Amino acid sequence: MPTIVLKNNCQSTIKHYPPGDLAIWFFILAELLVFGIFFASYAFARMNNVELFNELQNTLDREAALINTLALITSSYFVVRAVTAIGENNSKLCFRWIVAAIGMGGMFLFVKSGEYAHHLSEGITLSSNTFYMFYLSLTFFHFMHVIMGMVILSAIAIKTRNGSYSANNCTGVHTGAAYWHMVDLVWLILFPLVYIMR
Amino acid sequence: MFMYGKQIMGIRACTWVYAFLISFTFVTYLIGKFELDGLTTAITVLVLALLKGHLVGLYFMGLVRVKGFWHWPVTVWLIVPGSLISIAFYLSYQ
Repeated sequence: MPTIVLKNNCQSTIKHYPPGDLAIWFFILAELLVFGIFFASYAFARMNNVELFNELQNTLDREAALINTLALITSSYFVVRAVTAIGENNSKLCFRWIVAAIGMGGMFLFVKSGEYAHHLSEGITLSSNTFYMFYLSLTFFHFMHVIMGMVILSAIAIKTRNGSYSANNCTGVHTGAAYWHMVDLVWLILFPLVYIMR
Repeated sequence: MFMYGKQIMGIRACTWVYAFLISFTFVTYLIGKFELDGLTTAITVLVLALLKGHLVGLYFMGLVRVKGFWHWPVTVWLIVPGSLISIAFYLSYQ
C-alpha cells in the first residue's frame, strides 16, 4: 500500500488525476489526437513519394530546427522550475521562470518566422507539392499552438506577479504548464519526422 | 514508495531529464546532418523521439506521480502514431 503524503494542494506524492485543471487534459488529448493523425498522414503520404520527400527534406534548415528544439525543451524545463517555485510559495521566482519560458517561446517564433520568410521568398506555398503542403501546414499548425501557449503563459505570469497563486492555490500554473509541455511534446516528434527521418 | 517518489520526482530528476533531452536532440540532429538513411536509422531516430516524449510526459507533465487511467494517455499517444509511422517507413523500404 503506497504512502500518500500531502504537502499541500499542489504537492501530493501520488495522485489519481494529472496536475492542473482536468478540462485542459481533455483538450490536450484532443490536440494530441489531431497531431497524431497529421503525423501518420505525413508518413503514409511519404510512402508514395519517397524520392520527393527525401529530396525536399534537404532544402529545410536543420540548424534552425535544432535551435527551435533546444528552445522548446529549455522553455519546458523553465516551466518545470516555475511550477516547483510556486510549490515552494515563491511567486517571484515562479514569475521569473515563466518569463524566461516565454522568452524561449519567442525565440522559437523568431527562428521559425525566418524559415517561413525564406520559403516564401523562394515561392514555396502549400500548393507547391505534397511535401511542402505537409511541412507548411504541420509546422504552422504547431506555430499557432506556440503562440497560444505563450498567451496562456503570459496570463499566468501576470496573475503570478499579482500574487494570485501560492503553494495552496497553484492549479492555474499547473494547467498552463501542462499545455506548454504538450506544445513541446508535439515538436519532439515533429522535428525528427519532418526534418530528419528519411 | 515515498522515498522512491522523492528520488524520481524532484527537480533534480527533471534536470537530468532535461540533460537527456538535449543530448538526444543533438544525436538526432547529427544523424540528419550527415544525411544517414535506411530503415534502421529512421527507426532509431523515431525511438529516440518517442523516448524523449515519454520523459516529457512522465517528468515535465508530472504523470509519473499519477496512478490509474491518467498515467497512460501520453504513452498511448506516443505508441499509436509511433507504430503507424514505423509501419509507413517499413513499407516505404519494401
